[in-house]
Amino acid sequence: MSFWGLIRENGIYLTVAMGKTLELTFLSLVFAAVIGLFFGLLNVSRYKAFNIIANVYIDCIRGVPLIVLAFFVYFGVPMATGVRLNALVAGIISLSMNAGAYMAEIVRAGIQSIDKGQMEAARSLGLSYGTSMRKVVLPQAIRVMIPSIINQFIITLKDTSILSVIGFPELVKAGQIVIARNFETFKMWAIIAVMYLIVITTLSKIARALERKISYGK
Amino acid sequence: MENKNVKISVKELRKSFGHLEVLKGMNVEVCEGEVVCLIGPSGSGKSTFLRCLNALEKITAGSVIVDGYDLTDKKNHNINKVRENIGMVFQHFNLFANLNVIQNIMLAPVELKKMTKQEAHTRGMELLEMVGLSEKAEVYPSKLSGGQKQRVAIARALAMNPDIMLFDEPTSALDPEMVGEVLEVMQNLAKNGMTMVVVTHEMGFAREVASRVIFMDEGIIVEEGTPQEVLQNPKQPRTIDFLNKVL
Ligand SMILES: Nc1ncnc2c1ncn2[C@@H]1O[C@H](COP(=O)(O)OP(=O)(O)OP(=O)(O)O)[C@@H](O)[C@H]1O
Ligand SMILES: [Mg+2]
Repeated sequence: MSFWGLIRENGIYLTVAMGKTLELTFLSLVFAAVIGLFFGLLNVSRYKAFNIIANVYIDCIRGVPLIVLAFFVYFGVPMATGVRLNALVAGIISLSMNAGAYMAEIVRAGIQSIDKGQMEAARSLGLSYGTSMRKVVLPQAIRVMIPSIINQFIITLKDTSILSVIGFPELVKAGQIVIARNFETFKMWAIIAVMYLIVITTLSKIARALERKISYGK
Repeated sequence: MENKNVKISVKELRKSFGHLEVLKGMNVEVCEGEVVCLIGPSGSGKSTFLRCLNALEKITAGSVIVDGYDLTDKKNHNINKVRENIGMVFQHFNLFANLNVIQNIMLAPVELKKMTKQEAHTRGMELLEMVGLSEKAEVYPSKLSGGQKQRVAIARALAMNPDIMLFDEPTSALDPEMVGEVLEVMQNLAKNGMTMVVVTHEMGFAREVASRVIFMDEGIIVEEGTPQEVLQNPKQPRTIDFLNKVL
């Protein structure tokens, strides 16, 4: 069958799968941002115990392949607890735990890139550490973090394909299903690759435009 | 001197960074309305001393009592409350880069519920007028000259209506032609009775404005007295040596 014929036949199915992929990526990244902010703040805290907690989390996650984490959450945890998770929930948990560790490092680096004088000036006015962080340091750090966050979004989007192993109907899984039916291995994977390419390129363009927009008064 | 209100009382203040002892027992008293200028060579501990006065540095030993609050006594008070009353101006301005000029000034009074947004705005515009920068209210710090930044920083500190102002080399990072505009603002503050501790290399300012000059070196006070005494007729060899180098 021609490329065009394959696209006509499977286009809607694959587009829905791409939608699920994006949904999974987006939700995971929202949770990852929360996890990352939490551990990132622990990491820059002046309390040693908090730094250690953050580093243990980051090291553990980075030391385990995502696929092992996904198997653990999807197959392992239900075995041990009897609570069965559906593939979407298990996928979001695995991806956000994984991306959360990287986001924590992005948050730490972002905060540390801001001149210490900003925090000191805020504290010298009588503002608390938390308020100084929220109103002065984080708004500046986020701007610095945006390129890294875009990068993490793209990594997580690609990582969703690993979740095909737990049967979540994202784009790779959908491709496998189609190919099992029509045996058009070469053309189908080419189509899927182009789909990823288009989405990822578009997203990074949008994000870069956003980055320019929030660069205050510079 | 006797019946004056003591604003800052420092006794046997010591400060170490690891094994490096930077302040080796400082005793200073500052009364209401006094302008104390702190001079001394680079690395002598001037900034460290100033930063101990609002607890930006943790005090190793001794006592610092500001406005009746003992900064070394952790249980007694909330350090943020004490800092509301002590303005600080830094060598490198440290204006909040994510906020424009008026927002820089309004942030603390509004966040700390000292003023409503309206009041803070009105007060902020008054202060900008005072430092001659009314037309810059909506501008971001990156668009200002050094002298303008420092004047905004002074206005920002004044917005909290502090009783005490600390200045750490406020003109050292400025191009020579901008030093005057900042010193003028400080001079007016002094005239209006503000209690000030100023680390400076501006001997002209010290001579004209200071009620007292303190020369410190290697973490101790070497000599102190009126500008006349310390700058014109220094007694200690180290003071004489230092003044010869800077004048
Ligand atoms: N956070 C810090 N950690 C370690 N050492 C420090 C720290 N801050 C200052 N020091 C050291 O303390 C000494 C005094 O520094 P300080 O900044 O108080 O000097 P200064 O008199 O203000 O000098 P300058 O005129 O150059 O500003 C210096 O030797 C400096 O290296
Ligand atoms: Mg200094």
